[in-house]
Amino acid sequence: MTGLQCIEAAIRIDKNGQVPVVPQIFGHAAVLSGMPVDEYLTSGDALASCQLAALGRYGHHAVFSVMDVCVEAEAMGAKTVHHPNNYPCIEQYVSSEDAINSSRVPNPLKDGRMPEMLKAISIMRRETKEETLVVGCVMGPMTLAMQYVGVQEALFMAVEHPLLFEKLLDHVTDVIIEFGRAQIDAGAHLPIIFDPSSSPEVIPPQFFREIVLQRLKRISSAFKQGGAVANWLHIAGKTLPILPHYPDAGIDMANCDYCIEPAMVRRFLPGICLDGNIKPLSFVEDSSEDIYKESVRLVKSFAGQGGFVLSSGCEIPPESRPENIEAMVKAAKECHF
Amino acid sequence: MKQMQRLIDALLDGDRQQALDEARRLVSEGATPDSIVINAIEPAMNRLDAKCTVEQFNLLEIMLVGRCLTAVVNEIFPQGMTASLTKGCVVIATLEGDVHDIGKNITKMLLASKGYNVVDCGKDCSVQKLCDTAEAQKADAVFVSGLITSVIPNVKKIKEELETKGLGCIMVVAGGAALKQSTSDHLNVDFVAENAFEGLHYLESKIGARNN
Repeated sequence: MTGLQCIEAAIRIDKNGQVPVVPQIFGHAAVLSGMPVDEYLTSGDALASCQLAALGRYGHHAVFSVMDVCVEAEAMGAKTVHHPNNYPCIEQYVSSEDAINSSRVPNPLKDGRMPEMLKAISIMRRETKEETLVVGCVMGPMTLAMQYVGVQEALFMAVEHPLLFEKLLDHVTDVIIEFGRAQIDAGAHLPIIFDPSSSPEVIPPQFFREIVLQRLKRISSAFKQGGAVANWLHIAGKTLPILPHYPDAGIDMANCDYCIEPAMVRRFLPGICLDGNIKPLSFVEDSSEDIYKESVRLVKSFAGQGGFVLSSGCEIPPESRPENIEAMVKAAKECHF
Repeated sequence: MKQMQRLIDALLDGDRQQALDEARRLVSEGATPDSIVINAIEPAMNRLDAKCTVEQFNLLEIMLVGRCLTAVVNEIFPQGMTASLTKGCVVIATLEGDVHDIGKNITKMLLASKGYNVVDCGKDCSVQKLCDTAEAQKADAVFVSGLITSVIPNVKKIKEELETKGLGCIMVVAGGAALKQSTSDHLNVDFVAENAFEGLHYLESKIGARNN
């Protein structure tokens, strides 16, 4: 089986077959290739070449056209500051009501760094020859709203100006759908929906159910219609209170952060493929023996069940030790469901 | 206590206007600022603390309550909190390389509401500036928050820098999404807090032990 076939089987919850392994390698690919992170984050050619080099070294099963959490907000007009060897951040949010009301949906083919992400997707799809999952990335609605107007401002707006906040969420949902569909058109098998700000550690579960869920449904439905092979949702932290809503949101694959046990999540989500959940910092601080042992333990906890992708709980830190990622991939390749 | 209940309810509800109205009413009826802290703000903080168990902790609720607490403290202490209520000095920062300061701001608010003099060194702060400020302010503790793992090398330097200044007695507490994945030994700090309340509890236990 190819890596892509392994992942497709896991999404179907096939009970047999090889365990797919998808370390969430983003900026680490640049560090591994000795490229300045900012070059990686601004050039589709650079991003693709580093991702493909990492794929060549580790032999895992997915490549990511993921830059950072600022891409959409930047294309919408928020000002960013870039650093040579770190992720950029928003320097000036778009905060006035007028600015929000007049905000337009950016054109993924022209605005900000969106075209570079699309370019990376096209290159990687061509080069991986249907053997590897090519993953794009969109921010989820809560995360993009917060990236656009600021975390504090967005949360207070949700309470004090709920109509304006819902209007903002509808607008960012349009942005997400437009960008995600452009990624699918460019060759992504799916765009991962990255929404850490929807975590119950940030907003109450009722808020997720009443305000966020309907937007996630719109996004996942649009992605499926656009040709995504699956909808992959990434919400960090202790997500147990919101897991029961995932099937309703049209999610096929869900990330488990390091603080929740995937085997327990399976009881809440029997029909959804899970990925996780090695602690990201372990790839920096722990030994390859530790990573190998934890990987085997995780895979064994899904023995006979299928529907699991061995991964990190969140992004693998850029400064991670390569031998630790090799240990995770080795463990997955030696195990079967 | 009964006349304080409406202020406690308003604080826990995150209703800033109602909380300010209640604080003003209490002052007009003769309540002293100190009694409002002891009989309303502290009980509200304790209730919030108890509520913020692992499953129930969420940023939105904490921020709403925090904004109320700050507004009420500023209302009843327009010149700043009185020295008799100040339990100690904490210098707080998000370190160089990290600009995510929401966790730091929440911790600052909780510490200030509990009676600590909190000196905020802001975000993207160098270890040198943090330690110089701790020295100048005669701080009891240094709190640092980190959302990204790349700040870890800087966190590891804090104790060393404080010791160079002869200030090894200053507690160093770390927290935030990246730092809480690590251990106090790895980070070379005194304590790694799961959340802002845990950091506060650690500080209270150490300051309490020192004062007894």
